[in-house]
Amino acid sequence: MDFILLVLSSFSLLLEPMNLTYVVLGFVIGTIFAAIPGLTATLAMALLLPVTYTLNVETALMACASIYMAGMCGGSITATTINIPGAPSSMMTALDGYPMQQQGKGALALGHAALGSMFGGAVGALLLIAVAPFVAELSLLVKTTGKFALLAFAIIVVVIAQRGRIAQAGLAACIGLMLATVGLDAMEPVTRFTFGNANLTAGIDLMPVIIGTFAIAEVLMQASASRDTSLLTAAAEKVKIKRRDFLPPLADIRKIGLGCYLKSCLIGYFVGTLPGAGGSMGSFLAYTEAVRTSDDPESFGKGNPKGIVASESANNAVCGGAMVPMLTFGIPGDPITAIMLGVLVINGIQPGPQLMAGQAGLIAPMLAALLFSAVVLIPLTLYLIGPYFIRIVALRKDVLYAVIALLAVVGSYVATYSTFQMFMALALGVLAFYLRRNGFPVITMLLGYILGPNLEEFLRRSLALSNGDPTTFFTNLDSLFFVLLTLVFVYFLVIRKPAGKPAAAGAR
Amino acid sequence: MLLNRQLLFYFVTLAVSAGYLISALSLGSPMSESGLTPSFFPILVGAAAVLFSAILILQRLRAGQAGPAAPAAEAPHSWTHLGVAAAVFVYILAFKPLGYFLSSGLFVFAIILLFSSFEKLLQKAALSAAITGIAYVMFQQLFGVRLPTLWG
Repeated sequence: MDFILLVLSSFSLLLEPMNLTYVVLGFVIGTIFAAIPGLTATLAMALLLPVTYTLNVETALMACASIYMAGMCGGSITATTINIPGAPSSMMTALDGYPMQQQGKGALALGHAALGSMFGGAVGALLLIAVAPFVAELSLLVKTTGKFALLAFAIIVVVIAQRGRIAQAGLAACIGLMLATVGLDAMEPVTRFTFGNANLTAGIDLMPVIIGTFAIAEVLMQASASRDTSLLTAAAEKVKIKRRDFLPPLADIRKIGLGCYLKSCLIGYFVGTLPGAGGSMGSFLAYTEAVRTSDDPESFGKGNPKGIVASESANNAVCGGAMVPMLTFGIPGDPITAIMLGVLVINGIQPGPQLMAGQAGLIAPMLAALLFSAVVLIPLTLYLIGPYFIRIVALRKDVLYAVIALLAVVGSYVATYSTFQMFMALALGVLAFYLRRNGFPVITMLLGYILGPNLEEFLRRSLALSNGDPTTFFTNLDSLFFVLLTLVFVYFLVIRKPAGKPAAAGAR
Repeated sequence: MLLNRQLLFYFVTLAVSAGYLISALSLGSPMSESGLTPSFFPILVGAAAVLFSAILILQRLRAGQAGPAAPAAEAPHSWTHLGVAAAVFVYILAFKPLGYFLSSGLFVFAIILLFSSFEKLLQKAALSAAITGIAYVMFQQLFGVRLPTLWG
C-alpha cells in the first residue's frame, strides 16, 4: 500500500516542467522510431542512454518509460495506414488495420488501436504497481542456489523461445557470456581475456555494448539492405486521415466487449513477465484468443476492430509485465527493459529484492510515467499529431542515419571520454550486425552479457557453500522450483513444439 | 555452394569459440580445494559455444544446397555497410586529433553520401554542418559533455 501511495505522490513530479518535457519528448521520439519501419524504440532508448549520465535518475527513468510505452503503440500507425508494421509488436494489428484503411476507415482503425493501447498500457502499469512490491517480498525467499537457478531459467527460456533457431540463440547467449567474462574476476584478483590491454581490466562497459548492438548495428543493417523507400513514401503520401474520425463510436466498443480488452491485457501482462517473450508474442496470443472465442472468426483479417484491440491491448500491457522481473530480479524480458536495466545500473541502482524496500522512491516516478504515457499521451498525441505521423516514413533516410550514426558514436564517448569505448562500440556493432544478418537473435547475446556476471557468481557461491556438490540445486526448494519451471518450459517449447510464430520475432 | 557466407560465418564463430576455450583452459585448473576457480565458468561457456557452433555447421552442411539458407545471408545486398564501418573507424581515429567539429562534419557528410548519391553536394554539406552544430549544442551545452576541439 505504501508503494502505491508513493507512485501516486510521484505524479506531482510529472508536473515539473523539466520532467514533463523529457516524458513528452521521449514519447514523441519513441513513437517516431516505432512508426518508421526498420527503426525501433529500442534504438531510441539506446541513443538516449548516454544522456542519462547528465540527467537525474528519476527523469531518465521517466523518459525511458514513455519511450517504452510509445514504442508499443507507435508501430500501429504504419501497420494500419500502409500495411508495414513500424514495430514487430504491431504485426497482428496490420491484419485488420490495413483492411479497415482500404475500406476508408483508417482513422477509426487508429482510434481503436489507440484505445486498445491506452487500456492495455494502463492495466499493465496498474498491475505492475500492485504486484511488484509483493513479488519483491517473495523474491527475498530466493537464496543463492535459487538465484543461480532463476538466472539459468531466464537464459534457457530466452534461448528456447527462439523456435527454429535454438542453436543460433544458444551461441548468441554464449557470446554474451564470453563478453561478460572479460576483465577482473569478481571473486579472485585474476584478470581474464584482457590480452594485456589495461582498458579491458574493468571489463567491457555496458554503454558500448548497447550502443554497438542496437545503434551501430542498425545503421550497418540499413546500409546493407539499401532499401528503396520511394514506394513507402508514395504510399504515405496517398493516405488522408482526418482528426475527427479518430474517436471510435460507443456501439463499436460495446460490440468488441470489455472482456476482449481485459483478456488481451492479462495475456499481454503475463507474457511480458516471461523472459524473451515480448510484445510480438503477447499480441499474437491475444489475437489468436480473440479469433478462437469469436462468434464470427471469418471476419478477422478483413477489418475486424476486435483484432486491432486484442493485439494493441496485449502489446502495451506487456510493458507493465516485463518490468516485474526486471525490477524484482534484475532479469530483463526484452531489449528495451535490458536498456532500462542499464540505466538503473549506470545510476548505481541495483535491481533486485531490496530495490522496492530501499530505493522505491527512485522507481515510483517511472511507474507513474508509464501510467501517464498510457492514459494521457497515447490519446493526446494521436489526436494532436496523428494525421501528420504518417508523413514521418517519408523522412530522408540519408540524414536520419547520419544523425543516428553521429549520436551513437559520440554517445559512446560520453561515459569515459575515451576513444577506446568508441572502438568497442564499433567492434560490437560489427559483431551484432553479422550476428543479425545470419539469423542470430542479439537479445540473447545482450541477456547473456547482462546476466553473465551474476550467473557465474551465484554458481560459484552455491557450489562453495555445498562443498562442490551440484545436487544442492535439487535439494534446496527455491532452486528446485526454478529447475522444475525450466523443465516445464523445455517441455512446452521444445518437446511439445506448439505451432505458431517465433516467440521473439521482435527481439532481433 | 559448399562454403557460402553463412557457413563461413559459422566457421569463424567456431574458431573464435575454440580460441576462447583454449584461453580459458590456460587460466588454470577449473577446480581447486576451495571450490571453483576463475577458469571454471569460461571453460563451461567456451565448451557450450564450440558445441553450438559445431551443431550449426552440421545443420548447414546437412541442409546443403537444398536447405533453406538464412534469408538475409543469401539475399543480394549492397556493400555500403563496409563503407559505413570504415567511416566510423576513421571518424574515431580523427575524433581527438581533428576535434569534434571537423571530424564530425566530415563523418556526417560521408554517411549522407553513403546513404544517398553524389548529387546536390552543397546542400548535403550544409545539412552536415547543421547536424554537427545541433549535436554539439545538444551534447556540450544541454548535457554538459566536454567534446574535443582544435583549440583545446
